[in-house]
Amino acid sequence: MAEHYAPGATRAAIWRRYLRFWGPRVVADVDDELRFHIEMRVRDYMQRGLSEGEARAATARRLGDLATQRAECLTITTRRERRMTRAQLVDALRQDVRFAFRTLGRQRGWTTVATLTLALGIGANTGVFSVVNSLLLHPLPYPHADRIAILFQEPTLGNQTGMNVMVSPRPSLVRQWRESARSFEDIEAYSTTDMTLVPERGEAASLHIASILPTLPTFAGKHVLIGRSFANADLTEGGHVAMLSEGLWRGRFGSEPGVIGRALSLDGSLYTVIGVMPAAFRLPASQQNATDVWLPLDMHNEHVGLMTTARLRPGVSYDAARRELDSITKRLDVSEGNRVGFRAKLVPPAQMVQFRDSLLLLTAAVTLVLLIACANVAHLMLARAATRHRELAIRGALGAGTGRLVRQLLTESLVLSAAGSVGGLVVGWLGLELLVALRPASLANLDEARMDTTTLLVTIALGVLTGLLFGLAGAIQSARQSTHESLKAGTLSTSHSRRQNRLRGLLVVSEIALSTMLLIGASLLVRSVIRLQTMDPGFRTEGMYGLSIILPEKAYATPAARHAFYAELVTRARTVPGVEMAMMAEGAPPMQNFLIGALQLEGQPAPPAGTTGFINYNGVEPYYFREMGIRLREGTTFSDTSEKSDQVMVNAGFARKYWPNGSAVGKRLRTVFNGQGEWRTIVGVVDNAFTSGLTMEASQPMLYVPYQGQFQPSLIVRVTAGTNAIAAVRSLMPQIDRHLPAPDVTNVEAAMRDSIAAPRFTMLLLAAFTLLALVLAAVGLYGVLAYAVAQRTREIGIRIALGASRRIIARAIIGQGVLLATGGIVFGLAGSFWATRFIDKMLYGVPRGDPVSFAAGTALLFATAMAACLVPMRRAVRVDPVIAMRAE
Amino acid sequence: MNTSVEFLKGTLDLMVLKTLSWAPSHGYGIARWIEQCTGDVLQVEEGSLYPALHKLEERGLITAEWGISENNRRAKFYRLTAAGKKQLAASHDSWARFADAVFKVLKTAPTGR
Repeated sequence: MAEHYAPGATRAAIWRRYLRFWGPRVVADVDDELRFHIEMRVRDYMQRGLSEGEARAATARRLGDLATQRAECLTITTRRERRMTRAQLVDALRQDVRFAFRTLGRQRGWTTVATLTLALGIGANTGVFSVVNSLLLHPLPYPHADRIAILFQEPTLGNQTGMNVMVSPRPSLVRQWRESARSFEDIEAYSTTDMTLVPERGEAASLHIASILPTLPTFAGKHVLIGRSFANADLTEGGHVAMLSEGLWRGRFGSEPGVIGRALSLDGSLYTVIGVMPAAFRLPASQQNATDVWLPLDMHNEHVGLMTTARLRPGVSYDAARRELDSITKRLDVSEGNRVGFRAKLVPPAQMVQFRDSLLLLTAAVTLVLLIACANVAHLMLARAATRHRELAIRGALGAGTGRLVRQLLTESLVLSAAGSVGGLVVGWLGLELLVALRPASLANLDEARMDTTTLLVTIALGVLTGLLFGLAGAIQSARQSTHESLKAGTLSTSHSRRQNRLRGLLVVSEIALSTMLLIGASLLVRSVIRLQTMDPGFRTEGMYGLSIILPEKAYATPAARHAFYAELVTRARTVPGVEMAMMAEGAPPMQNFLIGALQLEGQPAPPAGTTGFINYNGVEPYYFREMGIRLREGTTFSDTSEKSDQVMVNAGFARKYWPNGSAVGKRLRTVFNGQGEWRTIVGVVDNAFTSGLTMEASQPMLYVPYQGQFQPSLIVRVTAGTNAIAAVRSLMPQIDRHLPAPDVTNVEAAMRDSIAAPRFTMLLLAAFTLLALVLAAVGLYGVLAYAVAQRTREIGIRIALGASRRIIARAIIGQGVLLATGGIVFGLAGSFWATRFIDKMLYGVPRGDPVSFAAGTALLFATAMAACLVPMRRAVRVDPVIAMRAE
Repeated sequence: MNTSVEFLKGTLDLMVLKTLSWAPSHGYGIARWIEQCTGDVLQVEEGSLYPALHKLEERGLITAEWGISENNRRAKFYRLTAAGKKQLAASHDSWARFADAVFKVLKTAPTGR
């Protein structure tokens, strides 16, 4: 067999390996091999004396056409090649990962800084995303929640409240919608109220009641725990059946199954308990109080306001559904002789979520933080790439291809970002716990925020994305470098370092720009909250309480009966020790009461038919202003408080809006609703006051009418600090009528404070994220300058040796920092001018272009940047020329 | 020997491994070697040699490398691997025992007749 020894094998193998780079050439190889066999056979025959033609013919006879064998060889070899490629990849990956771990482990400090930066950036996002995911993406725990909309109506014209007003449709309209609208699978209506439970023994209690249609449990995809749910027959039989909530059943009724069939006394009427609904069964509105008792809804009672929720048929758009509802509404309005202009409004449940705008703002903020974190780690990668320059060059010279080196660096980034993601999950979880623990009482729905599989997947995706993002920067940079150059020169080539410095400068400038935007945004919110907190509410809140007085319709059917009760209540309240003041009003602050009707001033044409307006109003006693501490600017207070009184008072905002140049006193106006409305005369003008809460504009037009005790009025009391008077006042109601529960009490002072709790919470969170961003940006700037100083040690040494003063050196370093910071600030300011429009509606009393906030944000950023310059600068001026020049 | 072709298919692997145990060789060389050794008695069906070689390569018993042949042409050379050597030894023994057993049957005449 020695004759087959191949002297050229090695050379060919190299050539072959080169070809391999372009992928296996299976077909050509198999064909070559078989052709070689044929040629050899032919040669053999010819050596035995056959002519070439004869030899070929003999070979063909002997071998056949070889097609089957060729195909077989191809299959086997292709299969083998594929398996080998896969094995090689896995092997290379394992090598890369092991190598990455070893390299990262060797530079513990570096790895810790990078991982921590990533963990903070990713963690902030994970935390905020958990909240967004739970609250905004899954606002309703109902089946097919994506097709659910809440139905309202909005006035087409003449809204004078300065707020986005949406009203619930009237029952007759909802009935018509339910019957005729084809855009929906189902339209659900419900109403809520509070009722008094009078048990056989023990104290009366006020319960949250929801009246629902028999179809709501199916709509919500929930079933009774025990007993049965409502049926249509329940209503025709008088509707005196009730379902208990799981909470009430477990608490008050001790989870007793025997509760079914028992009688429940609510507001003096008896209801038979037929079932218990699970705690997961909730009304389709997220901020509703937990319901205690469910009653069947009587849709023919026109006096209740209905909340309406509907599920669209698949494929029906909001717009098409709205048009259909409006056409149904129009038909009904015509037949009922209604001339008020409302159009339907479909609101996705997520839009009803409290804190929604803040969550969107915070999402934007944490995204910026993550970008800054990425830029920082990209820096770190670049700085490290520079120190590893020789290592990479040597590996390149030893045969590692560019692709291989880039892959190695990317693997390192991914390993790093995986560590960052794990850290991020921990940070996010801690952050979420902290967020829920610190939430203001008014944001109860934050408690529902959870981390789930989606959060986990998003975190992993973020990790991979960031890994690629910062990894690529370093990898491309390293791959570009010429191997030859780096090996030859002991130091970095100037062209390379200039290019790298430019990239690092760019990163730092974008970091500073993003931080500037965050800082200005945070400054605006801080200023806004400070304004809210220090704002004079316009009335004296100290010691003030509001008690909402609800009288059962049945027992107090006539106005006279109600008035007698209110008078008795006020009289008794004034005798309680510690009570400084007690009076009735239609509403107690912070409240939002509207008069519905289009405003018409005397001398002006009547508003067009169909115009609807909403005007803030309150019904008050003549001494209300004196007791509240709201100054009378002009005219007098009410002198006629009878039912026939035509007197009205307005706030300064009202007077200025409609009579900017003259006095409002003596002017006449009316509110027109359905073509009707009595003319009233303005007798006085009072100062603006934040009686609707601090986040509303005090200068919104406000009407005051004499108190009539019409709807559910409030008892306003002021008690001396440190007394227990309010408890005594609260117990007055059951004392007057033992069937009445003690009323709900609002601490006005605390409620006014609470009305700014949400903005303050948003501000605190944004400030925290901004601080994080600022620290990261400072670290980034510090890193760039420190690196520059280290790079230029030799040069600095020479300059000092040649007589350059330390001041000149310091100025050079600071100058570089100032340049970078200024660049970032300029871009950041430009970005802020554009981006602040998105937070405009979260600002109270501060314009979005507020120069103070812009200046403060810029100054703080600049100061931080200068602080970051200090250490590198000191290092530069302390360079010892002798040591610096001896090095290398 | 035409009747033995099926029987011999299983033994082709063994012969290839044995051939390669002397020295690396290309496919044609292997075919020629088996021909020369067995004379006209065993004629390898040349086409089936190549699928057999590729299968052995896939099983890791032999490896292949492209080289230059004695007449200066590009040819694929096969070489026995360590696993191939082990396999050869095992097959060799079992084949020898098998052949021995068959041979005994053929040689032994019944005694009881």
